[in-house]
Amino acid sequence: MKSLWKVFKQGIIYENPLLMLMIGLCSALAVTSNVSNGIGMGLAMTFVLLFSEIFISLFRKAIPSSVRMPIFLIIIGAFTTIVDLVMKAYFPELSKSMGVFIPLIVVNCIIMGRVEAFAYKQKVMPAIFDSFGMGLGYTWVLVGIAAFREILGNGTFAGLQVMPQSYQPILFFILPPGGFLVFGLFISLNIWMKGRMQKSAAAKESA
Amino acid sequence: MDLMKILLVTILVNNIILMRFIALCSYIGMTNDVGQSIGMGFAVTFVTVMATAATWPLYHFVLVPLHLEFLQILVFILVIASLVQLVEFYLKKNIPGLYAAMGIYLPLITTNCAILAVTFENISYSYNFIQSIVYAIGVSAGYLLAMILLAGVRSRMKTSPVPKFLQGTPILFIATSLIGMAFMGFAGLIK
Amino acid sequence: MKGNLKLGIVLAVFAAVGCASLAVVYSITESAIAAQSQKALSASLQEIFPDAVSSEDISSTVSSNVAGIKFEQAFLVKSALAPLGVAIKAQGSSYGGPARLLVGMSLNRSIAGVRVLELNDTAGLGANAKNPGYFVNKADKITFPGQFAGKFITDPFEVKKDVAAITASTITSKALTGIIKASAEAAALWLENSTLAGGK
Repeated sequence: MKSLWKVFKQGIIYENPLLMLMIGLCSALAVTSNVSNGIGMGLAMTFVLLFSEIFISLFRKAIPSSVRMPIFLIIIGAFTTIVDLVMKAYFPELSKSMGVFIPLIVVNCIIMGRVEAFAYKQKVMPAIFDSFGMGLGYTWVLVGIAAFREILGNGTFAGLQVMPQSYQPILFFILPPGGFLVFGLFISLNIWMKGRMQKSAAAKESA
Repeated sequence: MDLMKILLVTILVNNIILMRFIALCSYIGMTNDVGQSIGMGFAVTFVTVMATAATWPLYHFVLVPLHLEFLQILVFILVIASLVQLVEFYLKKNIPGLYAAMGIYLPLITTNCAILAVTFENISYSYNFIQSIVYAIGVSAGYLLAMILLAGVRSRMKTSPVPKFLQGTPILFIATSLIGMAFMGFAGLIK
Repeated sequence: MKGNLKLGIVLAVFAAVGCASLAVVYSITESAIAAQSQKALSASLQEIFPDAVSSEDISSTVSSNVAGIKFEQAFLVKSALAPLGVAIKAQGSSYGGPARLLVGMSLNRSIAGVRVLELNDTAGLGANAKNPGYFVNKADKITFPGQFAGKFITDPFEVKKDVAAITASTITSKALTGIIKASAEAAALWLENSTLAGGK
């Protein structure tokens, strides 16, 4: 159980897919101009990651290595399509607002990467914990960036007004260059946090 | 939409990397030097145009008449993956020179967001075949441009003093933010 | 060769299972998806024509002769007593991709209302056409599409002349105005050629 917990924790800070591994970036920045999109994308990605990892781990003995890429694509593509259809049917506004980025989940490097590096070689339980950890790591960064951009750039959080009426929104943050800037700062923050955690872990060991 | 306008919008006004955040993984990973960027840019252009030529007819003449539009994601990504494999085999066997220059980028291209995005948008924007090809060329050219710009900036940054907490990837994103701001000035180009 | 055949079969099996599961999911969600777009359209029609009770699909009799603008659907909207006007769902390209608008034309050749159904332009700039909280006329609280209500088709429909633009989004403003103008003209023409509006 302890090792499963460790697998889960990795994805949140130490091996945060967006901030440390630098994968899955495309969808990340584009959907973070407001919090609702950020949460929607985080959940959609986690869903696809979870089920892709489960199925690929379950069938790992049946997937021949030489054709594993196309098979991964079929499985990931199928779950991405399921997310796409469900969103169109029950969350049409969110689906339209995220546009082409939902189909793009299928080429999200995080899913491809984790499936190849982890799920294909591990049992189902570790795969499940890994996907939750990576999914959570992805989602917290998305929501964090989105909150920053939406509050400063629009005065709202998930559509609710949070800044005082007199606050003049700084449009820059909603625009693409603003997104890049905020992301750069978040990476910087994460590097700092990782450094702090490593120092305190080293201090504990030597104590 | 007018073909010239499509080119102008995709390369400058609505650049796929700088304004739309698509294809960032390769942007960060493959701009270590200008040569690498150019190789990647051309590989992407080649595959995107071919993918368009393959997926557009497939969608309009097979998926739609058979009411199989929901298979779009699966079909498109498999077509792109197969195309990349075929191109790699062909180059390796027949044009080894080109393979040496461009071949190593090909496996990375399958998951390049830009290619899938272009094939999808050709459909959602209701472009006809010619417009789709032009759109594919335009987007790839914009991609190439952004890649070269960042590679240039990166090589300069190797010799500049960067504050400690921004070293590595943070400063790259801030640099991109600045390039992007410059590109926003192009918005007024289209009348 | 036999090894390759086996690989091919494995691939085919996965593909078949994948497609089959998607077909199942699709059949479940298909009706919900269709219902959603219908709901959005009906809601917008109701907003433009508050007295509307029913609408008749006249899509086959209305077509666009403006390049780049397509009329996806057209309706003759009626109240319980009489026809109210014509609504056209038009699609054209804007800054960030296709834009879809619903343009309603009253019997007296003035625009009953405009609703933006779909717009993919830059958030904070062109996307404000769809933002109910963004006003081109702050004093009277008029939104970009809102300014077209009551406009006669004889007006020039030129941005910065009789049409107020969205700040820093001239491309979006012009693109949408063009779509609205083409739809209004087509709707008015249909009304003129029909036996309504006390015309012929």
